Amino acid sequence: MSAVTNIGVAARASAVRVQNVRKVYQRDSQSLTVLDGLNLDVPTGEFVALMGPSGSGKTTLLNLIAGIDRPTSGRVVVGDTDLTPLSEGELAKWRSRNIGFIFQFYNLIPVLNAIENVELPLLLTNLSSKERRQRAMTALRIVGLEDRYKHYPRQLSGGQEQRVAIARAVVTDPSVLVADEPTGDLDARSAEEVLDLMQTFNKEFGKTILMVTHDPRAAERAHVQHHLEKGVLRD
Amino acid sequence: MKFAPIVLKHLRKNWIRTLSTVLAMSVCIFLFCVLQTVIAAVDFGLHSGNTNRLVTRDAVSIANLLPMNYKQKVAAIPGVKDVVIVNWFGGVYREMKNFFPNLAVEPEAYLRIHPEIMLPPDQKEKWFGDVRGAIIGRKLAQRFNFKVGDIVQLESFIPYYRVGKPFEFAIDGIYDTDEARYPGTNLDSMYFHFKYVYEATGQRIGIGTLTTLIDDPGQAGAVSKRIDEYFDNSDNPTKTETEQAFRAGFVALAGNLALLLNGIGLAVAFTILLVTANTMSIAVRERRQEIAVLKTLGFSSGLVMTLIISEALLLGLMGGLIGIFLSRAVIAVLVNVPFLGDVLRQFPNLGLSPQVASFGMGIALLIGLLAGFFPALLAYRSRITEALRQV
Repeated sequence: MSAVTNIGVAARASAVRVQNVRKVYQRDSQSLTVLDGLNLDVPTGEFVALMGPSGSGKTTLLNLIAGIDRPTSGRVVVGDTDLTPLSEGELAKWRSRNIGFIFQFYNLIPVLNAIENVELPLLLTNLSSKERRQRAMTALRIVGLEDRYKHYPRQLSGGQEQRVAIARAVVTDPSVLVADEPTGDLDARSAEEVLDLMQTFNKEFGKTILMVTHDPRAAERAHVQHHLEKGVLRD
Repeated sequence: MKFAPIVLKHLRKNWIRTLSTVLAMSVCIFLFCVLQTVIAAVDFGLHSGNTNRLVTRDAVSIANLLPMNYKQKVAAIPGVKDVVIVNWFGGVYREMKNFFPNLAVEPEAYLRIHPEIMLPPDQKEKWFGDVRGAIIGRKLAQRFNFKVGDIVQLESFIPYYRVGKPFEFAIDGIYDTDEARYPGTNLDSMYFHFKYVYEATGQRIGIGTLTTLIDDPGQAGAVSKRIDEYFDNSDNPTKTETEQAFRAGFVALAGNLALLLNGIGLAVAFTILLVTANTMSIAVRERRQEIAVLKTLGFSSGLVMTLIISEALLLGLMGGLIGIFLSRAVIAVLVNVPFLGDVLRQFPNLGLSPQVASFGMGIALLIGLLAGFFPALLAYRSRITEALRQV
């Protein structure tokens, strides 16, 4: 069974196309089908919320779109790139340029301070040290943490950590942001701040955003909500 | 270089673990460098003997003395060019820790046979004519600040040289050598007249060893055989061998020193390898999530592996540097240890050689590489989704 998104902006080019994707995990002798012939089309500049119960395949779908996992069958195309034939090394290179990833638990590197964490993806570019520092500082300024640039993750609140993680996700100016329950570990106020930021990146910077969430209030910020159940989309 | 802060900050994060691993590594490299220096010193001593000199001693034990008439008999054997009596005196200057080699010899013959012992002509003449006279090596003179004209008292620990009071020697000369032509010449020794000791002991002593100069080094085996066959049926059969073999025999008394020391070094290196590998494994296990994040950001598996190996190599580098520094300091002290110091002082430009230091650093880096390789391989193979799922 498949579900094709129609958000009424068909004129826009697709940022993400998921075509007849199956994902089957092998657990010992048992096969576990997590995604079953799933189709999804996300136009450029869209803010999409993926909802559904635990184990429905939301994170798996996000991982496939972000190029950190591979489908068992089917195709995932992001922008102009078909991810299916890419090698691990090519996928890593592609991720560094095209995807910004926001995790539920921020996943900042504890031994690096805020600006060093934001600068991490830029280490994979040919930018000079000064340029990297300037860009990282700009990203921190956008998320409102310019004055905390020397603070280590342990010196920041959960909301601040997540904002640093957002700065890290956008510092390379990727076209697509994927967020896996970005407000799942935050209090209501911090969650609002994070969602405000994501909306800003979507509206003002034109980023395509795919967000997995259990929180209906978070999902309301998206243009479109998709519900996954047992590996298929039920809009 | 742009990734260096990541590596350095991880090492600094668990600084107690890093410090203990570096110290363990440095102890390993320290032991390796010291042991290799001792082995090199002994090996050099063994191979620096002159190939056209033979040493004849009692076949049963070097502690047994040969009759005095053996010198004339050996001198008459075909192939023998010159011969000199050399007796190990075993004298101690003031206290045991001041020990240095001292030998009773026949001065003229000894200097003829040992051209590496170089004395100014006036000092040579003075020594030849002074039965209580002695010559000392330049390094020995520096060690005790001895000067020509000083009187030095030595008391032997060998029973037949003990006469109830110390022997008194006047320093007539300070010898040196041409280190380019005669590397390994001992400049820490003292030589004096055999005649003086012989008379002072009431002519009761005999010959400790006879050093023979032969015409042709290629005939060393044949001449040795001739000498030993000559005394075969006497009360004191002899054992004659090249100077190199004679020195090697001394070392053989203590077993296969090189094998023993290398065995110790290898065991220590292996232990440190396990310690470092364990440290790196723990470090990588603790950072599974972090590694997954780096990979998500676009760090290739190869780059992640390189960062982890760099961390292990840095541990090796730091351990190696500290170990080499420690060994330099300790080797400088070792030369003052009795007996061992005498062996070490035979090493030209004594101290930690660049070769041994480089080899030590190589071992440290190799341990780091091996210790880091398998944890790095695990990081290389780790799947992002599995690592993140365990968060």
